[in-house]
Amino acid sequence: MISVMAGLATAAILFIVTVGLSLIFGTMRVINLAHGTFYMLGAYLVTVTFGAVSSRALGFTVMLLVSAAIVAVVGLLIEVLVLRRLYGSDHLLQLLATWAILMILDQVAIMVWGPQNFTAALPRAFNGSVQMNGQQFPQYDLFLIGVALAIALALWLILQRTRFGRLVRAAVQDVELIRVLGVNVNRLYTQVFVVGTFLAALGGALMGPATSVGPGIDMNIIVEAFIVSVIGGLGNIWGAAIGAIIIGLFQSIGNLYVPELASLAPYIVMILILVIRPHGLLGKVEG
Amino acid sequence: MHQQNAAEPVQTELQTPPALRMRKRTPRQGLASLAGWVVTLVVFASVPFWLSVDNTLLIEGMIVAAVFALATNFLVHHAGLTTFGQAVFYGIGAYTIGLFSVHTHVSFWVAVVLGPFFAALAALVIGALSLRARAFYFALLTLGFSQLFYNLSMVFYGFTRGDTGIYGIPLPGFLRSPLWSYEFIFIVGAAGGLALWWIVRTPFGLAIMAIRDNRRRAQSLGMNSYVQLLAAFVISGFFCGLAGVLFIVYQQHAYPEMLNWQSSGAPILMSVLGGMSTFAGPVVGAVIYTLLENFVGGITTYWELIIGVVVLALILIYPGGIVRGVVQLARKLGSFGNGGRGQ
Repeated sequence: MISVMAGLATAAILFIVTVGLSLIFGTMRVINLAHGTFYMLGAYLVTVTFGAVSSRALGFTVMLLVSAAIVAVVGLLIEVLVLRRLYGSDHLLQLLATWAILMILDQVAIMVWGPQNFTAALPRAFNGSVQMNGQQFPQYDLFLIGVALAIALALWLILQRTRFGRLVRAAVQDVELIRVLGVNVNRLYTQVFVVGTFLAALGGALMGPATSVGPGIDMNIIVEAFIVSVIGGLGNIWGAAIGAIIIGLFQSIGNLYVPELASLAPYIVMILILVIRPHGLLGKVEG
Repeated sequence: MHQQNAAEPVQTELQTPPALRMRKRTPRQGLASLAGWVVTLVVFASVPFWLSVDNTLLIEGMIVAAVFALATNFLVHHAGLTTFGQAVFYGIGAYTIGLFSVHTHVSFWVAVVLGPFFAALAALVIGALSLRARAFYFALLTLGFSQLFYNLSMVFYGFTRGDTGIYGIPLPGFLRSPLWSYEFIFIVGAAGGLALWWIVRTPFGLAIMAIRDNRRRAQSLGMNSYVQLLAAFVISGFFCGLAGVLFIVYQQHAYPEMLNWQSSGAPILMSVLGGMSTFAGPVVGAVIYTLLENFVGGITTYWELIIGVVVLALILIYPGGIVRGVVQLARKLGSFGNGGRGQ
């Protein structure tokens, strides 16, 4: 039961990161290799820069949002300066451009924060644990799950109820149609990319105090986020949720029973699911 | 410059059908081209005689990278399959020799021959599974296989020596001399490159390009696209394995990082750097990448930053790659000579 909760907490982070990736892919058809790097930047900002500022719940929450917002500005610059010039060219070029951005930001992070790993204490407000059915659950895990649920609900409302959400859903279906209808697609892409970046950085910011932060954490999360998104079906928000839960649970339960093979679990799950359903659980068939 | 909208997919160099690019050559041009190749081969073959051992090693690294890039480009450009998993086959080529040397008494040469075939066998299995998926799913599935093998090599410590990998793999007899190990890498690498150059020009090579350009039309002409692409996948795996074998002659070290997705991406990066649509492109890209890695890596630990900047600049300025950029520049300069009319 404890490991199920731990699995759900992992799934919560994976969902927050992957839903951003999925949103970007679904709308813009860009596989953003730098997505994990935005996660890493969020984690650095909270752990190293702002973590010390406050250990109260409210202060910490503000710091999460500030960190994610700063990274979102980086995302905005990247979209406007680089990606915007590559829409319509070969997908491979877009992929390599985001890889180049990953390499650049990675090295910048090492220049700024050095090669060492950082660990920060959890904010005091979330440091306790909660009694449920006679078992102890870390408070922070519950907080993560709560945030993920809140984001899922907020995204659902935005996608269903706002003009922005309608445009995103339409763009996932057929971007040409909304362009013909006079929508400024470039601006929509920028907005989606900024939202996606914000979510990646928020995931990192949330994870920062719960893990050790250092070079390379972006490479781990990006591969996991890809796995989650293809399991669920690229560009599908509910697919991201299902994929995150599957991988989160497999990881924590695998850690319990076969710890030496747990690192293989996500890949094996992904290969099995894609061999059975080559376009993911909820994905559409690619043309 | 690239202010186009996603509306009309602009015909970049990457997408131009090859049939439009192959121009008939006059006999004189053919002769000049042949002479160019002969001179290039002689220059490269004689490298150990006029370069220091260090620089000879640098060129060995370039040849290994070039074979890996050509084999990957065959799949990515000619078959139109964006893959992030070719490092599996590169790694299998290298690990075959490493594992044979650690666990058996089988001759080095047997392992050299088996390496590419094991890689091809793995490609048959991985390709058969991956090719059921299309486009991005295919790319990410191959990436998943790459990471699976990477993690496997870390987990089975007793068999693969885990994260340190297998180093100090002994080379037999004459390969221990710097001269002969270079000539071996050069001759085998050149033969591999030539074989790929030839395969692209066979009916099979034309068939996979036809499938890439229009799968449905190719199928209606009676081609079995799944089988043809699987064959391309196996061929690419074979030559990636060959590059892995050459890497052992070059470095005598098989290690897990050879298998992960960054290693899978490197040959694609090289191909795009040099230009995917010309045969020399991936080779030139491999040379530039190796030079950057060595010289910038010698000056600063942040060499990946420089590579990132170079790649980004190139993608934004010359999306067709350096070779095509140079050709275009040369044409532009040439056209001044005939009143700006020529193209």
